[in-house]
Amino acid sequence: LSGRVLVVDDEVEMQRALRTGLRYHDFEVRAVGTGEDAVREAAAWRPDVILLDLGLPGMDGFATLRALRPTTRAGVIVVSVMPGEKDKVRALDAGADDYVVKPFGTDELVARIRAVLRRQADVSAGEPVIRTGDLDIDLARRSVSVGGRVVKLTPTEYELLRYLALHAGKPVTHTTLLRQVWGEYAVGDKYNTRYVVAQIRKKLGDDPANPRYIVNEPGVGYRLTAPDALG
Amino acid sequence: MRRLAPYAVAIAGAVAVTAAIGLVSTRFQVPGLSAFYLLLVLWLGATWGRGPAVAGSIAAFLLYDFYFVPPVGTFTVRGPSEFFELIVLLAVALVTGQLAGSLRRTQSAAEALAADERAMYELATAALRSPEVTAALSLLSERAVRLNGVSRFALVAMDFGTTAPLAGGEVSADELRQAKWAYENRRAIGVAVSDGAVKLVRTHPEAAEPAYLPLASGVAVMKIDAGHPDPSDLRMLGALVGLADLLLDRRRAVLEAERARGFEASDRLKAAILSSLSHELKSPIASLRAGLTALTAPQAGLQPEQQELLRDLDGQASRLDRLVGDMLALSRLEAGLELEREPIRFADLVGTALHQLRPDLKDRDVTLEIDDDLPPVEVDELQVGRVLTNLIENANEWAPAGGRIAVGASASEDRLTAWVENDGPAIAPNDLDRVFETFWTRRARGSGLGLAIAKRVVEAHGGTIRAENRRRGPRFTFTLPLARVAASR
Repeated sequence: LSGRVLVVDDEVEMQRALRTGLRYHDFEVRAVGTGEDAVREAAAWRPDVILLDLGLPGMDGFATLRALRPTTRAGVIVVSVMPGEKDKVRALDAGADDYVVKPFGTDELVARIRAVLRRQADVSAGEPVIRTGDLDIDLARRSVSVGGRVVKLTPTEYELLRYLALHAGKPVTHTTLLRQVWGEYAVGDKYNTRYVVAQIRKKLGDDPANPRYIVNEPGVGYRLTAPDALG
Repeated sequence: MRRLAPYAVAIAGAVAVTAAIGLVSTRFQVPGLSAFYLLLVLWLGATWGRGPAVAGSIAAFLLYDFYFVPPVGTFTVRGPSEFFELIVLLAVALVTGQLAGSLRRTQSAAEALAADERAMYELATAALRSPEVTAALSLLSERAVRLNGVSRFALVAMDFGTTAPLAGGEVSADELRQAKWAYENRRAIGVAVSDGAVKLVRTHPEAAEPAYLPLASGVAVMKIDAGHPDPSDLRMLGALVGLADLLLDRRRAVLEAERARGFEASDRLKAAILSSLSHELKSPIASLRAGLTALTAPQAGLQPEQQELLRDLDGQASRLDRLVGDMLALSRLEAGLELEREPIRFADLVGTALHQLRPDLKDRDVTLEIDDDLPPVEVDELQVGRVLTNLIENANEWAPAGGRIAVGASASEDRLTAWVENDGPAIAPNDLDRVFETFWTRRARGSGLGLAIAKRVVEAHGGTIRAENRRRGPRFTFTLPLARVAASR
C-alpha cells in the first residue's frame, strides 16, 4: 500500500527526515513549510494523505485544515508537539482523520498513514459487513455477533457501535459520538458515551481494563480497532 | 432654671386669670367664671404637659377659694361643690397634660425618624455614587461618631485571610486580634443588634474596651458610652451598621472579581509559556527521532551494527523525550493549572493505561481486582491516566522476570482507594516517603519524576498516596474522589 504524502512542517530537518523515511517505505513525498503552500500543493499535486503540523507560522494548522477540507479528499493526519488533547479533539472535529504526537518513530507514522489509506479504500468498497477480529457488524441486517454468537444491543448501543465501525481504526471524539448517536442536545455530557461503551463492552465480553474492540483514546474519545490490527 | 419656667408661668397664669375674674365680677354678675381656669389649665397641659398643668390647677383652686368662695379671704372649703370644682380642675389638668404629652412625644419621634431617614438617605446615596467603597465607609464612620454616646466607630476589613483597618481611624494590634476572633467565631463582643438597633450588653458598663460586631466581610469596632444614649441614636447606629455591612460586602465582591481576573490572566500566561517551552524542547527531539528511525529501514541499506547503533540512539532520544515530558508535566502541576474533572470509570482509566503500556507489559502477568459495579470517580482523565501509567511502569521495572503486577480498587463512602502492587524487592523503610520526592530515584537511569508527578496529581485531586511493603512486595495506594452524583441512566 503506497501513495502520495504531502508533509506540511516548518522545520527543514523534519521535512528532510520524513521525506527520506517515507520514501524508504515506497511513498511519493513532497514537503512544504506553510499552510498557504499546503493548500496550493494539495490542489495541484492531489496527495492521498496530508501530514499537517498544527504549529505552523502564519496561517496555523487549524486554518489550513479548514481551507483544505472542502477541496481535497486526501486523508489528513494532524501532527502536534503538544500533549494537550484539546487540539486533537478540535482537529478531529474539524475533519482530520487521525493524529500523531511528536516525537514519533517512522514505523508508527507509516502504520498510521497505511490505516488512513486502507479506510479510504474501504469506504469506496462499501462493505455491508464490518469485521474486526471475531466481531461482525452486519450493517444491512443491523445485527452484531461475536464469534458467531449474536449479541443483542439496544438501539443506542447499536448506533454507537455502528458509527465506530464505519470509522474503524479512526479515533472518534466524544462530541461526534454524542452528536451522531443522541443529537446536538447531548453534546457535552461525556458520561453518556462512557456509560454506553461500558454496556457494549460488557455485552461483547470485552474487558474494560483490557479492551480488544473498543479502545479508549484518552481525552479524545474511542476507536474501534482496525480489522488488520487484530491477530 | 429652664425646667422651672413652665411652673412659674402656670402660677403667674393662675394669678392673672384670678385678677381677670375679679375684675369682671366687680362689674357684672356672671355665673361660672371659674371656667376661665379650665382654659388656662388646658393651655398649660397642651403646651408643657402634665406637671405645669397640675401646678396651675392647684394654684387656680387656691386663688379661687381665697378670693371668690365665701368666706372670702380664707382657704376654708365648706361644701362638696368646692371640692368638686377642685377635682374637675385637677382632672382636666391631668388629662390634657397626658394627651398633649403623648402628642408631643409622637411628633418628636416622627421628626427624629425623618431626620434619621434623611441622614441615611444622604449617606446611602453618597456611598452608591462613590466608586471607592472605602471613601463611603469613612463618611459612614464620621456620621456614626456624630451620634450621641458613640465616641468611636471603626471598620476592619476581613478578606482573603487578612485583617486590616479600613475606616474610622487607627485600630491597635490587640483590637485587630479581638476583631479577628469575633469575625471567625461569628460572636459579637459587648454589643448586640436587635430590631435594627444596637444595644450594649456589657457586664461592666464602665469598661473602657470597645465593642466588636462581626459583619459579613468585616467587623465594626465601636465605643458606646455607658450612659445609654438615646434609643433613636442606637437605632441610627443600627442602620449605619447595616449599611456598613452592605458596603463591606460590595467591597469584597469587587476585590474577588479583580482577583479572579488576575488568576485567569496569570494562568493563561503560564499555560502559554509552558506550551511554547514544550514546543522549543520537543521539536528538536522530534526531528532526531524521525531521522534516526528513517535510517533503520532496510531500504536504507545500512549494516546490522549500524542499524543497532541507530536504534540505541533513538532509544536515547526517546528517553530524553520522556524526561522533557515529565519535567513539563511537573511544571504544569506546579503552575497549579486547572484540572478538567469529569465522571469516569476507574476500570476505563486502567484499561487505557494498560493499552498504552501494552508493548512493555508483553510478558507480564497483570491481574486486576476491580469490581464491575464501582461508582465512577470525578477526575481529570489524562492526569490520573498519568498516575496509573507511572505506577504501572514503576511496578514493571521492579517486578522480577515473570513476576506479577496487580491493580485493584475499592470504594468507600466518598472516595475510591486504588493500589498498584508488584512482587519485586521491598523498599527500604527509610525510603517509603522519599520515593515521592522530585528527582529521587532508586534506579541509575530513572528520571526521579514519575512518582513525584503521581503524588502531585493525586494531591491536586484532594487525595493521598503512600508506599508500603506488603507481604508479596511493594504496594502504592492512592485515593481519588468519587463523582458527586451517582451517574447511572
